[in-house]
Amino acid sequence: MAEPRSRDTPAARLDVRPDPGSAPHDSAHTHVTGRSEYVDDRPMRPGELLCGLIYSPYARARLKRLDLSDALRIPGVVAAITAADVAHNLWGSIVVDQPLLVEEEAQYAGEVVAVIGAETPEALRRGLAAVRVEWTRLPAIRSIDEAITAERFIGAERRIERGDAGAALQAASHTLEGTLVIEGADHFYLESMAAVVYPGGDGPFEVHSSTQHPTETQHVVAEALGVPFSDVSCIARRLGGGFGGKESQAAPIAAYAALVARASGRPARLVLGKDDDMIVTGKRNPFQIRYRVGFDGDGRLLALQAVLHSDGGAYADLSTAIMERALLHCDNAYFIPNVEVRGRVCRTNHHPHTAFRGFGGPKGVALVESILEDVAGVVGRDALDVRRVNVYAPGRDETHYGQTVENNLLPSLFESLEERCEYRRRREEIRAWNGDPSNNPRGLSMTAVKFGISFTTRFLNQANALVNVHRDGTMQVSTGAVEMGQGVNSRIAALVAEQFGQPLDAVRMLATSTERNANTSPTAASSGTDLNGAAAVAACERIRGRLASLAARLRDLPEDAWPSRTAGLGTQPELTVADTPPPLPVRFEHGRVRVGDGDAAWSIGFAELVQEAHRSRISTCEYGHFATPHLAFDKIEGHGRAFLYFTQGVAASEVEIDRWTGEVKVRRVDLLMDLGRPVNHALDMGQVVGGFVQGMGWVTTEHLHYDENGLLVSHSPSTYKIPNVQDTPRIFNAELVFNEGNVANLRRTKAAGEPPLMLALSVWTAVRDAVSSARAVRVGRREPIAMAIPATAERVLRALEAETFARVEGGRTG
Amino acid sequence: MRDYALIHVNGVPREVRGRDAFMMLADWLRREVGLPGTKIVCAEGDCGACTVLRAFAPRGAGGSPPRFEAVNSCIAMVAQMDGSHLVTVEGLQEGDVPAPAQEAMLRCHGSQCGYCTPGFVMAISGMLEQHPVGEIDDRVAANHLTGNLCRCTGYQPIVEAACAAAAVDRRSVGDRYGTAEAFSRAEEAMDRGLEIAHEGRRVFAPTTLEEACAFASRHPECRVAGAFTDLGVPINKGRAMPPALLSLHLIPELLEMEDDGRRLRVGARVSLASLRRRCRDASPEFARFLNLFASPQIKNVATLVGNVATGSPIGDTLPFLLVAGGSVHVASPPAGRGPLRRREIPMTELYRGYRQLALEPGEIITHVAFDHDAGDETIRLYKVSQRKDLDITTVGAAFAVVWDGPRRIASARVAYGGVAAVPLRMPEIEAALVGELDPRKAESIARAIGDAVQPISDVRGTAAYRRVLAANLFRRFATEVLDG
Repeated sequence: MAEPRSRDTPAARLDVRPDPGSAPHDSAHTHVTGRSEYVDDRPMRPGELLCGLIYSPYARARLKRLDLSDALRIPGVVAAITAADVAHNLWGSIVVDQPLLVEEEAQYAGEVVAVIGAETPEALRRGLAAVRVEWTRLPAIRSIDEAITAERFIGAERRIERGDAGAALQAASHTLEGTLVIEGADHFYLESMAAVVYPGGDGPFEVHSSTQHPTETQHVVAEALGVPFSDVSCIARRLGGGFGGKESQAAPIAAYAALVARASGRPARLVLGKDDDMIVTGKRNPFQIRYRVGFDGDGRLLALQAVLHSDGGAYADLSTAIMERALLHCDNAYFIPNVEVRGRVCRTNHHPHTAFRGFGGPKGVALVESILEDVAGVVGRDALDVRRVNVYAPGRDETHYGQTVENNLLPSLFESLEERCEYRRRREEIRAWNGDPSNNPRGLSMTAVKFGISFTTRFLNQANALVNVHRDGTMQVSTGAVEMGQGVNSRIAALVAEQFGQPLDAVRMLATSTERNANTSPTAASSGTDLNGAAAVAACERIRGRLASLAARLRDLPEDAWPSRTAGLGTQPELTVADTPPPLPVRFEHGRVRVGDGDAAWSIGFAELVQEAHRSRISTCEYGHFATPHLAFDKIEGHGRAFLYFTQGVAASEVEIDRWTGEVKVRRVDLLMDLGRPVNHALDMGQVVGGFVQGMGWVTTEHLHYDENGLLVSHSPSTYKIPNVQDTPRIFNAELVFNEGNVANLRRTKAAGEPPLMLALSVWTAVRDAVSSARAVRVGRREPIAMAIPATAERVLRALEAETFARVEGGRTG
Repeated sequence: MRDYALIHVNGVPREVRGRDAFMMLADWLRREVGLPGTKIVCAEGDCGACTVLRAFAPRGAGGSPPRFEAVNSCIAMVAQMDGSHLVTVEGLQEGDVPAPAQEAMLRCHGSQCGYCTPGFVMAISGMLEQHPVGEIDDRVAANHLTGNLCRCTGYQPIVEAACAAAAVDRRSVGDRYGTAEAFSRAEEAMDRGLEIAHEGRRVFAPTTLEEACAFASRHPECRVAGAFTDLGVPINKGRAMPPALLSLHLIPELLEMEDDGRRLRVGARVSLASLRRRCRDASPEFARFLNLFASPQIKNVATLVGNVATGSPIGDTLPFLLVAGGSVHVASPPAGRGPLRRREIPMTELYRGYRQLALEPGEIITHVAFDHDAGDETIRLYKVSQRKDLDITTVGAAFAVVWDGPRRIASARVAYGGVAAVPLRMPEIEAALVGELDPRKAESIARAIGDAVQPISDVRGTAAYRRVLAANLFRRFATEVLDG
């Protein structure tokens, strides 16, 4: 199959469309009435145990003593699990390097050393308190710098290069260099980690887990128990949010419950409280990026050299793949002729950091958007003009890893949003406003996203689906995709209904289960619908082929010779059909199957046709498999087609800073995204608006604070501040562009899950714009503003009042 | 005495005894009543996933039935819900017809993962109980949703849903569940005090203050359980339930406010929400400030006395009470026979150290009192936190000045929270403020404040940041009064 070449950059006229009237989420009704069942809503079974965790309070410590005997003496405490009870005490998604339970030495504060199972919450509380555990504290590595000095890394250095960045920097008329600090963030899914395990015996261990990756959870549980994979089933009905946090790290939680279930022979439930969840599980990887950039007097980028270091935490988890995606997104929406980016994951004594919406992409995007903001200041141009000079465009459309940016809407998206948000007029207003130093400083900034869609690890780009068409014409569908709010089931249901011309309510999506769909990939990388939807459609196409052939045969038979009239009698020769469709056009629409065109058309009801198929011994059930074509990325060379396509968008944010406190208010956001031809406009818009606000939290108020032992202190919403309803933009205009050009993907849709988060970086760059213009009024010139992510109120006030803080911290007055 | 708490859940009366009475309400609803629609996320009243509606008519209140209000069920103890009428997300739908809040959330795509959804549905329903059809716009809706967190939607569709639900004619939850029969059943039960003991723990709710004081002095280890919003958190996080709890919900005098036109005296069980409604005229700046702090769910149960008694240096109301002539009224049993011993402690003398109050053993705070705003006075209250709404204070400040002519200060009171182990009045600064206020003097006072405070570094900010904030809050005040 030839690689598809999508249409060229479309004309500047973008087709911005409102919601045509979307179906609600397929769980909306049970959500609003409180009847949606999550793991912890499962009724308690007789004898079921509640589990709790004992973990290290120190970043690094040797286990001196672990005595569970007092705990086990407490009435109602039934099981106490340690490393000695684990059959295979090592797991890992990429590198198998992480113990499930500490054996000798804890590598992070929050690392689990024992699991207690008890009959009641009170017995569990007392049991946990009665565990005697003593630690010897050891020196720990708590920062990226310390890890670099100690040369503690995970995996090899990764590098992507094009051209000669060193020479181009030498030759450039302008250069800038700096260090960008990006801190971690907690997923803060509302449903914390949860698992209920029913012990095997009369069948496999039945694991109900809040996991984005049922297959890996199944495997980790099986290995922990020392049983074959066939002895464990993992079921994920729905998740109360995941955002990447439950991609790898749900597995050990399920394993802990499974170990208690096996030891006790009873059902076991482990539901973490929010505090334990935040302490035990990893976060978005913190990054520290040193960079040099060369550009000309117009602000056109000529060369980028950057060294990215991430804090991987104590174990590999997914950090090396996250680093790879960061390196692949250092260009974002902009053409940089000479690039040398290198990345290294540091091994520290923090929780093992993990996937979080964007998966490294946000770090690359933050880097180049930050650079462009500063470049604009140096060349004295508006940052939007500098971005538009650099944006991928015809002739300048090959990424630093050698993939062509096809179906590139970026220049038109910039142009269109500039007009729609009245950028120039507002820029002038803000300039005048900021001229008065008694006003709270305001800032305005437009940033873009170009996010690569596909797992960069090729084998993950596959999916399977089971489609059963029942004899009344209704369907049950299951795939490996996990429903976690994003609406993947709603989209797949719509795709399947469309295939058979049936109404949406004829399709029932089943819980994701390794019993129906094995060897699945995680629901991650924004790819849930792309992969699993394509697998479901592949299954539908084969069923359709057989049904279409049958319909064509039935048209030519007298009705009294149809199988439903004769099959029981055996008087007629049996009808046989191939998977391939007949030569006549056959359409599935409005509940009927239509053979032929115009006056000669003949039709049969869908359910009736399914009945006839069954009587003809023709299967109306199918298993579909899909593997994304055309991927050709060489990880060693850092070159080739890493992604099937790109999702693109732009956003302009205006902020106001409280000049006395540094608090940031987002006054207005305008956002435009290209999501191809959405299956469900409202669900896509939900991803866009929700992803943006989630990203706002990451770049403003969400701040992880650790104590001197390396234990997370901000481990609940009273100290870790995700956006509240009052933090949302005062004016928020988010719109979708209708784009038919993405021929590479299923039904010309585009993935929506992760990309919008990165547009929230426009809030961060707008804060820097505000600080920079406020300081320009004071010190007389615009200068680059160093600002870490998140730009907390304290950091903003420090940037605004650097002199005051210098005075205060020098011991004098505020 | 009763050995049970009487609680109506979705119209069904339940007598709760023994172990169940000591459970947290959300756990009880989910596990014992079999209503798992109510979710638990943070278990500390910050996320609202556990929101249910509650109506409570105090003993002998008579008159019109009370409103159903949104409350957090994760930090409410079951015994404390005695006499309450609760409605959960499962109780909203009538037959097959979803309630307006549910229908609107569905139509506006207000739910994604669904875990926060029941809480939002209940918060919206609580808002609908309070406002007639057509009174809600984006801003009002958002104010009613500050107690709920959502990580998926970005809130926009939820605010739309709240507005859409408010535009629909509806039968109120109160009409459905607030029946005279239910209220009279509860009132009859509440005529008797409550005492439940289970495995070494005890909860006692007497009908008179005398009995309450006697219990407190017999059980010096007892905790007075007000709204439980502060006590509930450590219990959820693994601390044991205190062995003895004293609940004041059956004592009518503590549910009242007295206003002599000069000073407001607020009973220990008066919710911050009712206080705010009452303060609108007497103390408009305080009423405005009460809007900012805590969520509707918390304010519908939490009390001013609770905020004072907790004694945190960042208690939101404390700087105000320090500048508004605040005092606490305490009661204790008489030495022999006779009436209760009562005394009044000025706020300035209440705090001895970090969360240490100048109370004698057995003394119970019955009221907090403070002055109305005087006509010639300017009061300004400020709070800085990491996030604007529903967040714990980094630094708080209160300024009250009496004018002696334009820009001339006759007297001043200044108080800060979050800059020392206790909430702080600053007499030297107050003295320095008297006289003509101009920008130069304001700047020197701001610097003096920055010098005087002794903050610490913690999760909410560094000591330096707090120092700069303390000075800047005064700069803001000076700018506002000099420009205004």
